[in-house]
Amino acid sequence: MKQDLQGYWNDDGKAAVRKYVVALSLSSFCNEAVERICDSIAGITPLTHAFGRNEIGLNKQRLDSSLLKTPLNPNVDSVLVVGYEPKSTNEYIAQFKRRSKKRIESVVLLEAGTLETIHQGSKKALDLVVSSSEKKREKIDFHDLVFGLKCGGSDTTSGVASNPALGVATDYIIENGGTAIFSETTEIIGAEHILAKRASDESVAKRIYAVARANEELAMSFGVDLIGTNPTPDNIKGGITTIEEKSLGAILKSGTSRIKGVLDYEQEPPGKGLYFMDSPSAAQAVLTALAAAGCQVILFSTGTGNPVGTAVAPVVKITANPHTVLKMGEHIDIDISQVLGGKIGIKEAGMQIIDGVIEIINGKITKAEALKHREFAPLPAGL
Amino acid sequence: MSQSYNTSPPSVTKRYLILNKDEDNVALALEELMPGDLIQFDQSSSNIQVKQHIEFGHKFAIREIRRGDYIVKDGEIIGQATSDISPGEHVHIHNVQSLRASMLKNIRT
Repeated sequence: MKQDLQGYWNDDGKAAVRKYVVALSLSSFCNEAVERICDSIAGITPLTHAFGRNEIGLNKQRLDSSLLKTPLNPNVDSVLVVGYEPKSTNEYIAQFKRRSKKRIESVVLLEAGTLETIHQGSKKALDLVVSSSEKKREKIDFHDLVFGLKCGGSDTTSGVASNPALGVATDYIIENGGTAIFSETTEIIGAEHILAKRASDESVAKRIYAVARANEELAMSFGVDLIGTNPTPDNIKGGITTIEEKSLGAILKSGTSRIKGVLDYEQEPPGKGLYFMDSPSAAQAVLTALAAAGCQVILFSTGTGNPVGTAVAPVVKITANPHTVLKMGEHIDIDISQVLGGKIGIKEAGMQIIDGVIEIINGKITKAEALKHREFAPLPAGL
Repeated sequence: MSQSYNTSPPSVTKRYLILNKDEDNVALALEELMPGDLIQFDQSSSNIQVKQHIEFGHKFAIREIRRGDYIVKDGEIIGQATSDISPGEHVHIHNVQSLRASMLKNIRT
Protein backbone atom coordinates (compact mmCIF):
# COMPACT_ATOMS: atom_id res chain seq x y z
CA MET A 1 0.00 0.00 0.00
CA LYS A 2 1.33 3.41 -1.00
CA GLN A 3 2.59 5.26 2.04
CA ASP A 4 3.66 8.64 0.78
CA LEU A 5 2.63 11.31 3.29
CA GLN A 6 3.20 14.95 2.41
CA GLY A 7 2.72 17.75 4.91
CA TYR A 8 4.07 21.07 6.08
CA TRP A 9 6.82 21.58 8.63
CA ASN A 10 5.72 24.60 10.65
CA ASP A 11 7.84 27.19 12.42
CA ASP A 12 7.70 25.15 15.64
CA GLY A 13 9.17 22.08 13.95
CA LYS A 14 5.87 20.22 14.02
CA ALA A 15 4.30 18.41 11.07
CA ALA A 16 1.02 19.77 9.75
CA VAL A 17 -1.50 18.61 7.16
CA ARG A 18 -2.85 22.11 6.48
CA LYS A 19 -1.47 25.64 6.69
CA TYR A 20 -4.44 27.58 8.00
CA VAL A 21 -4.23 31.31 8.73
CA VAL A 22 -6.56 32.22 11.58
CA ALA A 23 -8.09 35.45 12.89
CA LEU A 24 -8.69 34.96 16.62
CA SER A 25 -11.13 37.05 18.60
CA LEU A 26 -10.05 37.38 22.25
CA SER A 27 -13.45 38.67 23.28
CA SER A 28 -16.97 38.43 21.85
CA PHE A 29 -16.79 42.24 21.42
CA CYS A 30 -14.30 41.60 18.64
CA ASN A 31 -16.30 38.94 16.78
CA GLU A 32 -17.82 41.31 14.27
CA ALA A 33 -14.44 42.80 13.33
CA VAL A 34 -12.96 39.30 12.95
CA GLU A 35 -15.85 38.20 10.71
CA ARG A 36 -15.51 41.27 8.49
CA ILE A 37 -11.74 40.77 8.15
CA CYS A 38 -12.38 37.18 7.08
CA ASP A 39 -14.91 38.43 4.52
CA SER A 40 -12.34 40.83 3.07
CA ILE A 41 -9.43 38.42 2.78
CA ALA A 42 -9.62 34.97 1.20
CA GLY A 43 -8.10 31.97 2.93
CA ILE A 44 -8.36 33.10 6.55
CA THR A 45 -10.43 31.28 9.19
CA PRO A 46 -12.38 33.18 11.88
CA LEU A 47 -12.19 31.96 15.49
CA THR A 48 -15.04 33.69 17.32
CA HIS A 49 -16.87 32.77 20.52
CA ALA A 50 -19.34 34.03 23.12
CA PHE A 51 -16.83 34.74 25.92
CA GLY A 52 -13.80 36.85 26.78
CA ARG A 53 -14.99 39.26 29.43
CA ASN A 54 -15.05 38.84 33.22
CA GLU A 55 -14.55 35.07 33.37
CA ILE A 56 -13.03 33.86 36.64
CA GLY A 57 -11.63 30.68 38.13
CA LEU A 58 -11.99 27.42 36.24
CA ASN A 59 -14.06 29.06 33.50
CA LYS A 60 -11.25 31.53 32.80
CA GLN A 61 -8.72 28.73 32.83
CA ARG A 62 -10.74 26.73 30.31
CA LEU A 63 -11.31 29.69 28.02
CA ASP A 64 -7.67 30.81 28.17
CA SER A 65 -6.61 27.26 27.33
CA SER A 66 -8.77 27.12 24.19
CA LEU A 67 -7.74 30.61 23.06
CA LEU A 68 -4.04 29.84 23.43
CA LYS A 69 -3.89 26.22 22.31
CA THR A 70 -6.15 26.38 19.27
CA PRO A 71 -3.80 28.58 17.21
CA LEU A 72 -0.87 26.53 18.56
CA ASN A 73 -2.25 23.52 16.63
CA PRO A 74 0.43 22.58 14.06
CA ASN A 75 -2.07 23.08 11.21
CA VAL A 76 -2.14 26.83 11.94
CA ASP A 77 0.60 28.61 10.03
CA SER A 78 0.10 32.18 11.28
CA VAL A 79 -2.26 34.16 13.51
CA LEU A 80 -4.01 37.52 13.56
CA VAL A 81 -5.23 38.32 17.07
CA VAL A 82 -8.02 40.87 17.56
CA GLY A 83 -8.14 41.82 21.23
CA TYR A 84 -10.45 44.20 23.04
CA GLU A 85 -8.12 46.10 25.39
CA PRO A 86 -4.33 46.44 25.27
CA LYS A 87 -3.22 44.84 28.58
CA SER A 88 -4.84 41.45 28.12
CA THR A 89 -4.03 41.44 24.40
CA ASN A 90 -0.33 42.03 25.11
CA GLU A 91 -0.35 39.36 27.80
CA TYR A 92 -1.85 36.92 25.31
CA ILE A 93 0.80 37.72 22.71
CA ALA A 94 3.61 37.35 25.24
CA GLN A 95 2.25 33.95 26.30
CA PHE A 96 1.89 32.85 22.69
CA LYS A 97 5.45 33.89 21.84
CA ARG A 98 6.80 31.90 24.78
CA ARG A 99 5.22 28.78 23.27
CA SER A 100 5.59 29.34 19.53
CA LYS A 101 7.74 30.88 16.82
CA LYS A 102 4.75 31.29 14.49
CA ARG A 103 4.02 34.68 13.02
CA ILE A 104 1.47 36.54 15.12
CA GLU A 105 0.01 39.98 14.33
CA SER A 106 -2.53 41.92 16.40
CA VAL A 107 -5.04 44.74 16.50
CA VAL A 108 -6.63 46.21 19.64
CA LEU A 109 -10.24 47.29 19.14
CA LEU A 110 -10.40 49.78 22.01
CA GLU A 111 -7.54 51.74 20.43
CA ALA A 112 -9.18 52.02 17.03
CA GLY A 113 -12.88 51.31 16.97
CA THR A 114 -14.45 48.46 15.02
CA LEU A 115 -14.13 49.98 11.54
CA GLU A 116 -10.47 50.92 11.90
CA THR A 117 -9.82 47.49 13.44
CA ILE A 118 -11.32 45.89 10.35
CA HIS A 119 -9.14 48.08 8.13
CA GLN A 120 -5.86 47.46 9.97
CA GLY A 121 -6.67 43.80 10.58
CA SER A 122 -7.43 43.17 6.91
CA LYS A 123 -4.11 44.66 5.83
CA LYS A 124 -2.23 42.47 8.30
CA ALA A 125 -4.30 39.43 7.32
CA LEU A 126 -3.49 40.02 3.64
CA ASP A 127 0.19 39.92 4.42
CA LEU A 128 -0.14 36.70 6.49
CA VAL A 129 -2.17 34.92 3.82
CA VAL A 130 0.27 35.77 1.00
CA SER A 131 3.22 34.67 3.12
CA SER A 132 1.62 31.34 4.18
CA SER A 133 0.67 30.52 0.61
CA GLU A 134 4.35 30.14 -0.27
CA LYS A 135 4.87 27.18 2.04
CA LYS A 136 5.41 23.85 0.26
CA ARG A 137 4.65 20.28 1.25
CA GLU A 138 7.45 17.92 2.25
CA LYS A 139 7.71 14.36 3.47
CA ILE A 140 6.08 13.56 6.82
CA ASP A 141 5.20 10.30 8.51
CA PHE A 142 2.57 8.76 10.79
CA HIS A 143 4.92 9.16 13.74
CA ASP A 144 4.79 12.94 13.24
CA LEU A 145 1.02 13.04 13.62
CA VAL A 146 -1.60 12.99 16.36
CA PHE A 147 -5.05 11.71 15.40
CA GLY A 148 -8.24 12.56 17.25
CA LEU A 149 -10.91 9.84 17.33
CA LYS A 150 -14.60 10.62 17.63
CA CYS A 151 -17.92 9.00 16.95
CA GLY A 152 -21.14 10.96 16.56
CA GLY A 153 -24.69 10.45 15.35
CA SER A 154 -24.11 6.85 16.40
CA ASP A 155 -26.49 4.09 15.54
CA THR A 156 -26.01 0.34 15.66
CA THR A 157 -23.96 0.38 12.42
CA SER A 158 -21.38 2.42 14.34
CA GLY A 159 -20.87 -0.32 16.90
CA VAL A 160 -20.79 -3.24 14.46
CA ALA A 161 -18.99 -1.73 11.48
CA SER A 162 -17.62 1.82 11.37
CA ASN A 163 -16.13 1.86 14.88
CA PRO A 164 -14.44 -1.56 14.62
CA ALA A 165 -13.10 -0.58 11.19
CA LEU A 166 -11.83 2.70 12.64
CA GLY A 167 -10.25 0.59 15.40
CA VAL A 168 -8.28 -1.30 12.75
CA ALA A 169 -7.11 2.04 11.34
CA THR A 170 -6.17 3.23 14.84
CA ASP A 171 -4.11 0.09 15.43
CA TYR A 172 -2.33 0.73 12.13
CA ILE A 173 -1.57 4.34 13.13
CA ILE A 174 -0.17 3.26 16.52
CA GLU A 175 1.88 0.44 14.97
CA ASN A 176 3.43 3.00 12.61
CA GLY A 177 4.53 5.23 15.46
CA GLY A 178 1.58 7.63 15.44
CA THR A 179 -0.48 8.92 18.35
CA ALA A 180 -4.25 8.80 18.80
CA ILE A 181 -6.64 10.30 21.35
CA PHE A 182 -10.19 9.07 21.96
CA SER A 183 -12.55 10.91 24.29
CA GLU A 184 -16.11 11.58 25.56
CA THR A 185 -16.18 10.25 29.09
CA THR A 186 -19.93 9.59 29.11
CA GLU A 187 -19.33 7.06 26.38
CA ILE A 188 -17.06 4.83 28.39
CA ILE A 189 -19.75 4.26 31.02
CA GLY A 190 -20.58 0.57 30.82
CA ALA A 191 -17.31 -0.30 29.09
CA GLU A 192 -14.71 0.72 31.70
CA HIS A 193 -13.82 -2.91 32.44
CA ILE A 194 -12.80 -3.49 28.83
CA LEU A 195 -10.66 -0.33 28.71
CA ALA A 196 -9.07 -0.95 32.09
CA LYS A 197 -7.72 -4.29 30.84
CA ARG A 198 -5.85 -2.37 28.15
CA ALA A 199 -4.40 0.23 30.50
CA SER A 200 -0.61 0.39 30.38
CA ASP A 201 -0.48 0.29 34.18
CA GLU A 202 -2.58 0.19 37.35
CA SER A 203 -2.74 3.98 37.78
CA VAL A 204 -4.14 4.43 34.27
CA ALA A 205 -6.76 1.75 34.94
CA LYS A 206 -7.77 3.51 38.17
CA ARG A 207 -8.05 6.85 36.36
CA ILE A 208 -10.33 5.31 33.73
CA TYR A 209 -12.77 4.12 36.40
CA ALA A 210 -12.46 7.39 38.29
CA VAL A 211 -13.28 9.72 35.39
CA ALA A 212 -16.24 7.55 34.33
CA ARG A 213 -17.59 7.51 37.88
CA ALA A 214 -17.13 11.30 38.19
CA ASN A 215 -19.02 11.80 34.94
CA GLU A 216 -21.89 9.59 36.10
CA GLU A 217 -22.09 11.48 39.40
CA LEU A 218 -21.99 14.83 37.64
CA ALA A 219 -25.02 13.88 35.55
CA MET A 220 -26.90 12.66 38.60
CA SER A 221 -25.96 15.78 40.58
CA PHE A 222 -27.95 17.80 38.07
CA GLY A 223 -30.90 15.66 39.10
CA VAL A 224 -31.17 14.03 35.70
CA ASP A 225 -30.68 10.53 34.42
CA LEU A 226 -28.44 10.26 31.44
CA ILE A 227 -31.55 8.64 30.00
CA GLY A 228 -33.03 11.29 27.75
CA THR A 229 -29.72 12.97 27.00
CA ASN A 230 -27.46 10.03 26.23
CA PRO A 231 -28.26 8.05 24.10
CA THR A 232 -29.63 11.00 22.13
CA PRO A 233 -32.90 10.90 20.16
CA ASP A 234 -31.00 10.22 16.90
CA ASN A 235 -29.01 7.40 18.56
CA ILE A 236 -32.30 5.88 19.76
CA LYS A 237 -33.94 6.17 16.36
CA GLY A 238 -30.85 4.42 14.98
CA GLY A 239 -31.37 1.49 17.34
CA ILE A 240 -29.09 2.23 20.31
CA THR A 241 -31.03 1.51 23.51
CA THR A 242 -28.76 2.30 26.49
CA ILE A 243 -25.57 4.20 27.32
CA GLU A 244 -23.84 0.85 27.94
CA GLU A 245 -24.70 -0.31 24.42
CA LYS A 246 -23.48 2.98 23.01
CA SER A 247 -20.23 2.86 25.00
CA LEU A 248 -19.43 -0.74 24.12
CA GLY A 249 -19.75 0.22 20.46
CA ALA A 250 -17.94 3.53 20.87
CA ILE A 251 -14.75 2.20 22.47
CA LEU A 252 -14.13 -0.10 19.50
CA LYS A 253 -12.81 2.86 17.53
CA SER A 254 -9.78 2.93 19.88
CA GLY A 255 -8.53 -0.40 18.52
CA THR A 256 -6.61 -2.85 20.68
CA SER A 257 -3.41 -1.11 21.76
CA ARG A 258 -2.45 -0.26 25.32
CA ILE A 259 -3.88 2.96 26.72
CA LYS A 260 -0.88 5.04 27.78
CA GLY A 261 -2.75 7.56 29.91
CA VAL A 262 -5.81 9.66 30.65
CA LEU A 263 -5.46 13.28 29.51
CA ASP A 264 -7.22 16.28 30.99
CA TYR A 265 -9.38 18.45 28.76
CA GLU A 266 -7.21 19.92 25.95
CA GLN A 267 -4.04 18.40 27.41
CA GLU A 268 -1.36 17.46 24.87
CA PRO A 269 -0.28 13.83 24.99
CA PRO A 270 3.10 13.53 26.79
CA GLY A 271 4.33 10.84 24.42
CA LYS A 272 3.38 8.66 21.47
CA GLY A 273 0.70 5.98 21.50
CA LEU A 274 -2.98 5.79 22.46
CA TYR A 275 -4.54 8.12 25.05
CA PHE A 276 -8.01 8.81 26.44
CA MET A 277 -9.08 12.43 27.04
CA ASP A 278 -11.56 13.15 29.84
CA SER A 279 -14.14 15.34 28.15
CA PRO A 280 -17.86 16.07 27.72
CA SER A 281 -19.78 14.71 24.75
CA ALA A 282 -20.91 17.79 22.82
CA ALA A 283 -19.27 17.24 19.43
CA GLN A 284 -18.25 20.82 18.70
CA ALA A 285 -16.58 21.08 22.13
CA VAL A 286 -14.79 17.73 21.90
CA LEU A 287 -13.43 18.52 18.43
CA THR A 288 -12.23 21.91 19.70
CA ALA A 289 -10.51 20.17 22.63
CA LEU A 290 -8.86 17.52 20.43
CA ALA A 291 -7.57 20.21 18.08
CA ALA A 292 -6.31 22.27 21.05
CA ALA A 293 -4.43 19.18 22.26
CA GLY A 294 -2.59 19.17 18.93
CA CYS A 295 -4.49 16.70 16.74
CA GLN A 296 -3.65 17.39 13.10
CA VAL A 297 -6.44 15.11 11.83
CA ILE A 298 -9.67 13.93 13.46
CA LEU A 299 -11.27 10.63 12.40
CA PHE A 300 -15.03 10.70 12.96
CA SER A 301 -17.17 7.60 12.68
CA THR A 302 -20.89 8.29 12.19
CA GLY A 303 -24.05 6.21 11.89
CA THR A 304 -26.85 8.61 11.07
CA GLY A 305 -24.53 11.31 9.80
CA ASN A 306 -23.17 14.50 11.33
CA PRO A 307 -22.04 17.76 9.68
CA VAL A 308 -19.73 19.13 12.37
CA GLY A 309 -16.12 20.14 11.69
CA THR A 310 -13.58 22.17 13.61
CA ALA A 311 -11.71 25.32 12.67
CA VAL A 312 -8.08 24.11 12.76
CA ALA A 313 -8.17 20.41 11.88
CA PRO A 314 -9.76 18.41 9.05
CA VAL A 315 -12.50 16.12 10.38
CA VAL A 316 -12.81 12.92 8.30
CA LYS A 317 -16.34 11.48 8.32
CA ILE A 318 -16.64 7.72 8.01
CA THR A 319 -19.89 5.75 7.83
CA ALA A 320 -20.99 2.16 7.28
CA ASN A 321 -24.69 3.05 7.04
CA PRO A 322 -25.85 2.85 3.40
CA HIS A 323 -28.95 5.02 4.11
CA THR A 324 -26.71 7.77 5.48
CA VAL A 325 -24.52 7.65 2.38
CA LEU A 326 -27.66 8.45 0.35
CA LYS A 327 -29.29 10.96 2.69
CA MET A 328 -26.28 12.77 4.18
CA GLY A 329 -23.69 11.97 1.51
CA GLU A 330 -22.52 15.57 1.29
CA HIS A 331 -21.12 15.12 4.81
CA ILE A 332 -19.41 11.75 4.24
CA ASP A 333 -15.74 11.37 3.25
CA ILE A 334 -15.27 7.60 3.49
CA ASP A 335 -18.07 5.10 2.76
CA ILE A 336 -17.54 1.59 4.13
CA SER A 337 -21.17 0.46 3.94
CA GLN A 338 -20.03 -2.60 1.97
CA VAL A 339 -19.15 -4.16 5.32
CA LEU A 340 -22.83 -4.62 6.17
CA GLY A 341 -23.47 -6.28 2.84
CA GLY A 342 -20.79 -8.82 3.73
CA LYS A 343 -18.78 -7.74 0.69
CA ILE A 344 -15.72 -6.60 2.64
CA GLY A 345 -14.52 -7.49 6.10
CA ILE A 346 -13.71 -5.18 8.99
CA LYS A 347 -9.95 -5.42 8.40
CA GLU A 348 -10.27 -4.47 4.76
CA ALA A 349 -12.59 -1.59 5.65
CA GLY A 350 -10.02 -0.40 8.18
CA MET A 351 -7.34 -0.25 5.49
CA GLN A 352 -9.75 1.59 3.17
CA ILE A 353 -10.03 4.16 5.94
CA ILE A 354 -6.22 4.48 6.10
CA ASP A 355 -6.07 4.95 2.31
CA GLY A 356 -8.74 7.67 2.47
CA VAL A 357 -7.08 9.38 5.42
CA ILE A 358 -3.71 9.50 3.62
CA GLU A 359 -5.38 11.30 0.70
CA ILE A 360 -6.82 13.85 3.11
CA ILE A 361 -3.52 14.27 4.93
CA ASN A 362 -1.92 14.97 1.55
CA GLY A 363 -4.38 17.75 0.75
CA LYS A 364 -7.71 16.29 -0.38
CA ILE A 365 -10.36 18.53 1.17
CA THR A 366 -12.84 17.07 3.65
CA LYS A 367 -16.57 17.72 3.23
CA ALA A 368 -16.58 19.59 6.55
CA GLU A 369 -13.85 21.96 5.34
CA ALA A 370 -15.54 22.44 1.96
CA LEU A 371 -18.92 23.12 3.61
CA LYS A 372 -17.26 25.68 5.92
CA HIS A 373 -17.97 23.72 9.10
CA ARG A 374 -15.30 25.47 11.12
CA GLU A 375 -16.78 25.16 14.59
CA PHE A 376 -14.78 26.68 17.44
CA ALA A 377 -16.37 25.94 20.80
CA PRO A 378 -14.49 26.70 23.99
CA LEU A 379 -16.56 25.28 26.83
CA PRO A 380 -17.03 26.61 30.36
CA ALA A 381 -16.35 24.19 33.19
CA GLY A 382 -18.97 21.86 34.61
CA LEU A 383 -20.60 20.61 31.42
CA MET B 1 -15.50 -10.14 18.39
CA SER B 2 -16.68 -13.00 16.20
CA GLN B 3 -19.14 -12.02 13.55
CA SER B 4 -21.18 -13.92 11.07
CA TYR B 5 -22.95 -12.04 8.36
CA ASN B 6 -25.91 -13.90 6.98
CA THR B 7 -25.98 -13.37 3.24
CA SER B 8 -28.65 -15.90 2.24
CA PRO B 9 -30.93 -14.99 -0.67
CA PRO B 10 -33.57 -12.54 0.59
CA SER B 11 -36.48 -14.60 -0.61
CA VAL B 12 -35.82 -17.25 2.02
CA THR B 13 -34.82 -15.24 5.02
CA LYS B 14 -34.16 -11.65 6.02
CA ARG B 15 -30.64 -10.50 6.86
CA TYR B 16 -29.57 -10.16 10.46
CA LEU B 17 -26.40 -10.11 12.55
CA ILE B 18 -25.59 -11.99 15.74
CA LEU B 19 -22.29 -10.90 17.27
CA ASN B 20 -21.80 -13.72 19.78
CA LYS B 21 -23.78 -16.84 18.94
CA ASP B 22 -23.22 -18.52 22.30
CA GLU B 23 -24.04 -15.68 24.67
CA ASP B 24 -26.27 -13.13 22.95
CA ASN B 25 -30.04 -13.03 23.38
CA VAL B 26 -30.52 -10.33 20.72
CA ALA B 27 -29.69 -9.94 17.05
CA LEU B 28 -29.52 -6.86 14.82
CA ALA B 29 -31.78 -6.42 11.81
CA LEU B 30 -29.64 -5.67 8.77
CA GLU B 31 -32.74 -4.74 6.83
CA GLU B 32 -36.23 -3.62 7.76
CA LEU B 33 -38.23 -6.54 9.19
CA MET B 34 -42.02 -6.95 9.03
CA PRO B 35 -44.29 -9.15 11.16
CA GLY B 36 -44.23 -12.67 9.73
CA ASP B 37 -40.71 -12.45 8.29
CA LEU B 38 -38.63 -15.53 8.86
CA ILE B 39 -35.18 -15.51 10.47
CA GLN B 40 -33.24 -18.67 9.82
CA PHE B 41 -30.31 -19.30 12.10
CA ASP B 42 -28.38 -22.13 10.62
CA GLN B 43 -29.08 -25.03 8.34
CA SER B 44 -30.22 -27.40 11.08
CA SER B 45 -32.16 -25.56 13.71
CA SER B 46 -35.25 -23.57 14.29
CA ASN B 47 -36.50 -20.42 12.68
CA ILE B 48 -37.74 -17.32 14.40
CA GLN B 49 -40.81 -15.46 13.24
CA VAL B 50 -40.60 -11.70 13.51
CA LYS B 51 -43.50 -10.42 15.62
CA GLN B 52 -43.31 -6.65 14.99
CA HIS B 53 -42.02 -4.05 12.57
CA ILE B 54 -38.30 -3.75 13.25
CA GLU B 55 -36.27 -0.97 11.64
CA PHE B 56 -32.85 -1.38 10.05
CA GLY B 57 -30.23 -1.57 12.80
CA HIS B 58 -32.70 -2.31 15.61
CA LYS B 59 -32.55 -5.35 17.87
CA PHE B 60 -34.92 -8.30 18.21
CA ALA B 61 -34.92 -11.13 20.72
CA ILE B 62 -33.56 -14.50 19.65
CA ARG B 63 -34.31 -16.28 22.93
CA GLU B 64 -37.03 -16.05 25.58
CA ILE B 65 -36.22 -13.10 27.84
CA ARG B 66 -37.87 -12.66 31.25
CA ARG B 67 -38.48 -9.39 33.02
CA GLY B 68 -35.28 -8.61 34.97
CA ASP B 69 -32.99 -10.65 32.67
CA TYR B 70 -29.92 -8.94 31.29
CA ILE B 71 -29.90 -8.09 27.59
CA VAL B 72 -26.65 -9.52 26.19
CA LYS B 73 -25.11 -8.32 22.92
CA ASP B 74 -21.61 -9.32 21.78
CA GLY B 75 -21.18 -11.14 25.08
CA GLU B 76 -21.68 -7.94 27.10
CA ILE B 77 -24.57 -6.72 29.24
CA ILE B 78 -26.25 -3.72 27.62
CA GLY B 79 -29.27 -3.35 29.90
CA GLN B 80 -32.08 -5.07 31.77
CA ALA B 81 -35.48 -6.22 30.46
CA THR B 82 -38.41 -4.34 32.00
CA SER B 83 -40.94 -6.88 30.71
CA ASP B 84 -41.01 -10.41 29.27
CA ILE B 85 -39.83 -10.53 25.64
CA SER B 86 -40.42 -13.41 23.19
CA PRO B 87 -38.16 -14.39 20.28
CA GLY B 88 -38.89 -12.18 17.26
CA GLU B 89 -40.01 -9.20 19.35
CA HIS B 90 -38.45 -5.74 19.13
CA VAL B 91 -35.97 -5.03 21.93
CA HIS B 92 -35.52 -1.32 22.62
CA ILE B 93 -36.27 1.52 25.05
CA HIS B 94 -39.86 0.39 25.63
CA ASN B 95 -38.76 -2.88 27.24
CA VAL B 96 -35.12 -2.28 28.30
CA GLN B 97 -33.60 -0.02 30.92
CA SER B 98 -29.99 1.03 31.47
CA LEU B 99 -28.17 -0.18 34.56
CA ARG B 100 -25.97 2.92 34.71
CA ALA B 101 -26.38 6.61 35.55
CA SER B 102 -29.99 5.88 36.22
CA MET B 103 -32.47 7.00 38.84
CA LEU B 104 -34.53 3.89 38.15
CA LYS B 105 -34.12 1.01 40.52
CA ASN B 106 -32.81 -2.34 39.41
CA ILE B 107 -35.63 -4.72 38.68
CA ARG B 108 -35.41 -7.81 40.81
CA THR B 109 -36.52 -11.11 39.29
